[in-house]
Amino acid sequence: MNLPDWWKIDPCEPFVLGPREFPGRIWTASGCFAYGLTGHEISSRGFTSPYEGLGAVVSKTVTPMARTGNPMPRLCELPTGALNSIGLENVGFDEFLASVLPELERRGVPTVVSLAATRPDEFGVMVAALQMAGADYEHWHGVEINLSCPNVAEGGHDFGRDPETVARCVAAARKALPDRALLAKLTPNVADIASLAKAAAESGADAVSVINTVVGLEVDLTSGRPVLPRRYGGYSGPGVLPIALAKVDEIVQKAGVPVVGVGGIGGAQDALKFFALGAEAVQVGTAQMEDPFAAARIAADLSG
Amino acid sequence: MNRFETIPKTRRCQAFITINEPVSSGLIRLEIEVDQEMDFLPGQFAMLNLMGPRKRTFGRPFSILACSGNRVEFLYRVVGGGTGDLAGLKPGHPLTMLGPLGTPFPAPVPGQPAVLLAGGVGLPPVLAWWHRFSRTDDRAFFGARDPGDLPWDLLPVSWDASVDAQGETPVGRVAWQGLVTELAERELTGMDLPPSMVLACGPIPLLEAAGRFAEGRGWDCFVSMEEHMGCGYGACKGCVIPIRSDGQPEAEGRNATCCQEGPIFRAEEILWKQIR
Ligand SMILES: Cc1cc2nc3c(=O)[nH]c(=O)nc-3n(C[C@H](O)[C@H](O)[C@H](O)COP(=O)(O)OP(=O)(O)OC[C@H]3O[C@@H](n4cnc5c(N)ncnc54)[C@H](O)[C@@H]3O)c2cc1C
Ligand SMILES: Cc1cc2nc3c(=O)[nH]c(=O)nc-3n(C[C@H](O)[C@H](O)[C@H](O)COP(=O)(O)O)c2cc1C
Ligand code: FES
Repeated sequence: MNLPDWWKIDPCEPFVLGPREFPGRIWTASGCFAYGLTGHEISSRGFTSPYEGLGAVVSKTVTPMARTGNPMPRLCELPTGALNSIGLENVGFDEFLASVLPELERRGVPTVVSLAATRPDEFGVMVAALQMAGADYEHWHGVEINLSCPNVAEGGHDFGRDPETVARCVAAARKALPDRALLAKLTPNVADIASLAKAAAESGADAVSVINTVVGLEVDLTSGRPVLPRRYGGYSGPGVLPIALAKVDEIVQKAGVPVVGVGGIGGAQDALKFFALGAEAVQVGTAQMEDPFAAARIAADLSG
Repeated sequence: MNRFETIPKTRRCQAFITINEPVSSGLIRLEIEVDQEMDFLPGQFAMLNLMGPRKRTFGRPFSILACSGNRVEFLYRVVGGGTGDLAGLKPGHPLTMLGPLGTPFPAPVPGQPAVLLAGGVGLPPVLAWWHRFSRTDDRAFFGARDPGDLPWDLLPVSWDASVDAQGETPVGRVAWQGLVTELAERELTGMDLPPSMVLACGPIPLLEAAGRFAEGRGWDCFVSMEEHMGCGYGACKGCVIPIRSDGQPEAEGRNATCCQEGPIFRAEEILWKQIR
């Protein structure tokens, strides 16, 4: 692949984010590559595993209790991506700590653990337990707190809509996380994302992951009703790339906060656009579902 | 389930079409050549996607009919945008394939005959099992909409066929009118069969009926389930099927991924009432 002249870094070289060195800058996004234990045995020409060259796998978001998720259908394909309404189906935090995290370590998967909570202080409790369980782990590099989930304590609105709440969530997690990277994943469904990023950084986040999915809806014309049983879904894939790039730029320009770019990345060119705007690393989500090697191919293409 | 000791390795391949031709009024046979040698077990599937501008966000799941060397065969029906595009393509057109995926049908058990039931586009995994494993005691039944929808050339002569509506059949072949499970019931009742194993693929009502058919006799029954899929390899939880969890009451079911824990399930595991 022809790389632009300004591109000087090798994304498969280690880089430092906050208190931690990551093995690389091309990551997979939460929810699109399970917990990082799936697909190890898949091969493709030129690759021995889909994990080749990855800087981190952001695990599926884990909640305090196991969740069965939303009713089917949970996915709705669109010409420019998809809507999803998985409903955070996951094994629950205890099970994650007991069986998933040790296995990730055993397999040497560079891991960022994605967490969701129901109250801001719960992030602190979860991170403290994680810190206890994973203190000696070599491949656990960080925590990404998913702020695009309902805050049960405060009326069910997303944590990520109000700078003060973001600050409280981040501060609670930071206090319990001395030596791993802390990322705050922000929703794009807000008017002023820069002030949220600023609040996160000032409370101790090493970077913000931007963006989570964009709220969307699709109508089934035969029935005249929304396709997804919960009406709204999260829009992701190629169609959200310009939205993600704009949000990243807004944060870099206005808040000067380190950013991990996510949204609509399908190939190396898309990833380069985030790096051009100043992103520290990127995450590949929806594209990883269609091709388990999507992120690995981008890493290979960009390391020249 | 008597699982296989080794499941063939999943590969992500570049491919191109070698054959894409109708074999009946509703079914199209697709053969592709992939960039690596492939193997599969009957019941496994692959995710196919077009390359270039008509590439979709998600691949489409299709059961593997046959596989030898670099050639992989499927049978499909046009139902929407993706299969519609596929039907219009000529040999040489590039595709991508991720496969084989999922849990296969069980291997044959000595002394336990198999009863195979397939409806419509549910033919490939059942036919694949037949070609790989069938023994003289095994019986197979295939149901289609009408004789024109039956891929006669692919169907072994020993198979019994049923149709929803009568029409012309090729010389020497017959199709009984009615449901395929009724045909099996009729043919097998009164025969002194040892406990058998039922393997079924087709529409949900057929699978449910196959489960009841087996349950009434105290036989094992394995069904191939269909659900919409995103990734096909267990990464997204977009394809779940409600199943019983061990030792729990029915209401306490759990979600199983159709793509990874399935698509083959024991019929008695499925919480049929919760299926859309
Ligand atoms: C394990 C498995 C094996 C299958 N084997 C075969 C086979 O051998 N031959 C065959 O013709 N079909 C098979 N199907 C069904 C086939 O996947 C769908 O017909 C196909 O995905 C439709 O795509 P489309 O773009 O034409 O339809 P559209 O309706 O335009 O597709 C929209 C979305 O819905 C999904 N979708 C629509 N119908 C189905 C369906 N019935 N099952 C799953 N997803 C669906 C599509 O994948 C796509 O994501 C199988 C499905 C599964 C789950
Ligand atoms: C099926 C699916 C599941 C997702 N699950 C999560 C999740 O559990 N936690 C989270 O923070 N983001 C989740 N996301 C959002 C992605 O991580 C990502 O932010 C978003 O999809 C945009 O990137 P993309 O266009 O590359 O997919 C999910 C996305 C998809 C498509
Ligand atoms: S389709 Fe993604 S988990 Fe089954």
